[in-house]
Amino acid sequence: MTRTEFIDKLKIGLSGLPASAIADIVADYETHFADGTAAGRSEAEVAQALGDPERLARELRTEAGMKRWEDTKTPSSAMGALFALLGLGAIDILILLPIVMGIAGGLAGTFIGAIGAFFGGGALFAAGPWMPLPGQPWAALLGGLGLMAGSVAVAALVAIFTIWFVNALVWYGRLHYRLLKPALDARNA
Amino acid sequence: MPEPIDIQLKKGVLGLCVLAVLARRENYAYEIASLLSGAIGMGEGTIYPLMRRMQTDGLVETYLVESSSGPSRKYYRLTPAGHQALKAQSDEWRGFARAVDALLEPVPADPQPVTEV
Repeated sequence: MTRTEFIDKLKIGLSGLPASAIADIVADYETHFADGTAAGRSEAEVAQALGDPERLARELRTEAGMKRWEDTKTPSSAMGALFALLGLGAIDILILLPIVMGIAGGLAGTFIGAIGAFFGGGALFAAGPWMPLPGQPWAALLGGLGLMAGSVAVAALVAIFTIWFVNALVWYGRLHYRLLKPALDARNA
Repeated sequence: MPEPIDIQLKKGVLGLCVLAVLARRENYAYEIASLLSGAIGMGEGTIYPLMRRMQTDGLVETYLVESSSGPSRKYYRLTPAGHQALKAQSDEWRGFARAVDALLEPVPADPQPVTEV
């Protein structure tokens, strides 16, 4: 593989990252080639010693995705970290993915349920006293308030658990690719 | 193909090796990669994701040095946190290596309790 081929594959693999981050990473590898050829090695030798550019790009992108999750805990950065791990093959599609998706689906469902319960409670609170419900009007008022407070509590718990869950995934992913990477290198060598 | 124990050992101590190399002398990535690929046979490409991670973790920092030939070069040096990490990890490594060496002796010469690190 020539230097140009290597850099092109690396760039393709990195697409999706901010342009400045790509330029930074590419500059590192360009310098590496320049240093290598200055030391009397051929471009092909340098490229072979560097390893598979696509795999390096995946690892660098995963690192960037996980850093974004650590910096800002938003739903989109959580999805970014999850997809980066999937792209890396760090999550076993057959065994782990159904579990991960099950937990993620359960969390999303509970959260939507909590939103529904919140509005249901609001409706009960507002309209309950005028509806033909058993018991006193104040029972509907208190019941509505209780339902709203309960759903807020459930939503908060879901948020805490989701952050914990994505953190665990990131930890697992890093552990996984640190062990996986050299094994793949050895196989290619 | 190397034995799995070999691979996992190398991967585990790679960060420690980079810290040790940088403690001797502030250096640039190509030199670090050549040193480590010569010494412990790591893939040279691995150095860049690793340096980035160590920079994120605040263990190393970079600075540019003007070069007479070509563009300026990016050097790495240890931060105070990097020096601390090197101290902690090398103590851990030495304790671990001593314990394994002791186990590899066919006859226990003088049973020494392994001090926890």
